[in-house]
Amino acid sequence: MKAIAALVLLVCLLPSAVLADCRVNVNAHVALLGTTDDPDVFVWDSRFRLRDYEGGTFDRMQALLPHAVLARPGTRATVESCVPNFVQPKYQEKPEDAVGIVITSGPLRGQRGWVLGSAVRPMLLSSGRLRVRRRLR
Amino acid sequence: MRTRPGFLRVPGALIWTAFLVAVLIVAVQGAFQTRSDIAATFDAQSRIVKAQLALEEMLRLQIDEENSIRGFTLTRDPFYAQQYAGAAQAFDEKLSEVETQLRAQHLTAALRTLEDYAAFQNNWRSKIALPLLSNPSRDGAQIDKENKAFSDYENQTADFIRDALAERNALLARSTQEQINRDAWSRTFWLAVFGLLAILFNGFRSRLVSELEEERTTTETLQRAFRSEHIPLPNCEVGSAYLSASSHLAVGGDVFDVYRLSDTLAMIFIADVSGKGVDAAVLTAFIKFTIRGIALRRRDPGAMLAEFNTAFAQTVENPYLFVSMFVGVLDTVTLQLRYASAGHDSAFVRRAAGVQQLAVTGPVLGVMEEPFETKTIYLEDGDTIVLATDGLTEARNRSGERLQEQGAMYLIASSNPQPQLLADELVAQVKALAGNQTRDDLAVLAIRVHEPGGGE
Repeated sequence: MKAIAALVLLVCLLPSAVLADCRVNVNAHVALLGTTDDPDVFVWDSRFRLRDYEGGTFDRMQALLPHAVLARPGTRATVESCVPNFVQPKYQEKPEDAVGIVITSGPLRGQRGWVLGSAVRPMLLSSGRLRVRRRLR
Repeated sequence: MRTRPGFLRVPGALIWTAFLVAVLIVAVQGAFQTRSDIAATFDAQSRIVKAQLALEEMLRLQIDEENSIRGFTLTRDPFYAQQYAGAAQAFDEKLSEVETQLRAQHLTAALRTLEDYAAFQNNWRSKIALPLLSNPSRDGAQIDKENKAFSDYENQTADFIRDALAERNALLARSTQEQINRDAWSRTFWLAVFGLLAILFNGFRSRLVSELEEERTTTETLQRAFRSEHIPLPNCEVGSAYLSASSHLAVGGDVFDVYRLSDTLAMIFIADVSGKGVDAAVLTAFIKFTIRGIALRRRDPGAMLAEFNTAFAQTVENPYLFVSMFVGVLDTVTLQLRYASAGHDSAFVRRAAGVQQLAVTGPVLGVMEEPFETKTIYLEDGDTIVLATDGLTEARNRSGERLQEQGAMYLIASSNPQPQLLADELVAQVKALAGNQTRDDLAVLAIRVHEPGGGE
């Protein structure tokens, strides 16, 4: 009984940012896609470097580049973790999620890293197409 | 007439009119101001839209540059190198255009961001584009990463500039709307004030006109009562006419009289009292009967004026009232006219040879105690004495030019010799000259003399 009460209290005291929902769920299958103009996606070896890259100066960004790999648009990945509103891009009003992924397709398959929430596009797998394709296979 | 007591009530009307005009000016000026403000806002908004379009075009050209470089590294085709050069030049032109607009809008933060953006684009050219143009087979992965980093940063800065422009545009739109609303309320208020004042003014004016009309009626009634009936004089024909001023305010104190002193002598006089309205009309009665009373005791016109001057000063306390007067004593047998004129210059004799003006022999009455000279002239058969008030010589045409003595003498000379017709014609001429808008009363007294035993 005491353990349940402590859990409830802990949940109540958690910061709202942690409680806020991410745009994607853990274990979701996603595709990586940047913007229409620049669809490649940086995959960072640390969410803190991701945050520094998005919020820092250009020189800092350049210095960070060795810690990133460039994933081609459409690269598949699975979400392993998500920290909501973790990244504050320099010129955006709203913060973005930092999404931890493991790449599941292409030359970077198996590599783990962190990407911006907006670069992660959930695939419509649960409701339709993927199941059908699995059945076909 | 020299002063206008009735006009004393007009300052109220003038103040009302000034209020109305001021309110109207405020309302009209407000409308023009609103128009000007809205035009300025639309102009600013139009410039912002131009800047937004130029920014989007600039971003498109940035992508063109990148794509040209990608095309060149993949194909080595010089076409892509030329395409890159063209896009880079067009990019710089658009950059300059956006910079001008941001500066004009005083968007300092956006301007600084644009400068960063331009610096990154130049860096991208020197670190990515030019090396790839000279050596297309460089390490692709590293180039791609750096290219991506530049691209990310430039897109971020472009977003900031885009947001700044959109925000300024929205701000201007909001401020225009607020301005329109504020001005609409303000103009409605002023128009309501104008309407209210107009209604009040109309009421005030109606009351004023009604009062003046009542006073005018009273004055004219008094004047008619005091004006002389023509007493037949031996060897003389007498005619007279009276024209009231067209203005409600201008019914004045013109008076004339022909009064028989004995079998052969007649006193003739005409006077013009400064001031208008009931006061002036009552004063004309005082003048007429006082002069008659004096004339019964004295035969010398100069002495009559001197005595009247004393009586006037003792009776009338208003220091601003004065009278111009011509008094003559006519011997209807010898046709001798002895006269004195207190500042009254509209006195003429029409003779066969022409019209002669009778000289002024002293100052106007009620001003100072001065002796009045008496002059004597002898008339001939058919000569006509024409006495008028200053409504004759002061008559103005529509251009504002005065008739003056010369004009009056010309009219007298060219009028019908029969005294009544002459008086009527003079009045008609003055009325025609002023376009039926006479400013002053006009009294005319005409007396034609004949040798005793003549035809008349």
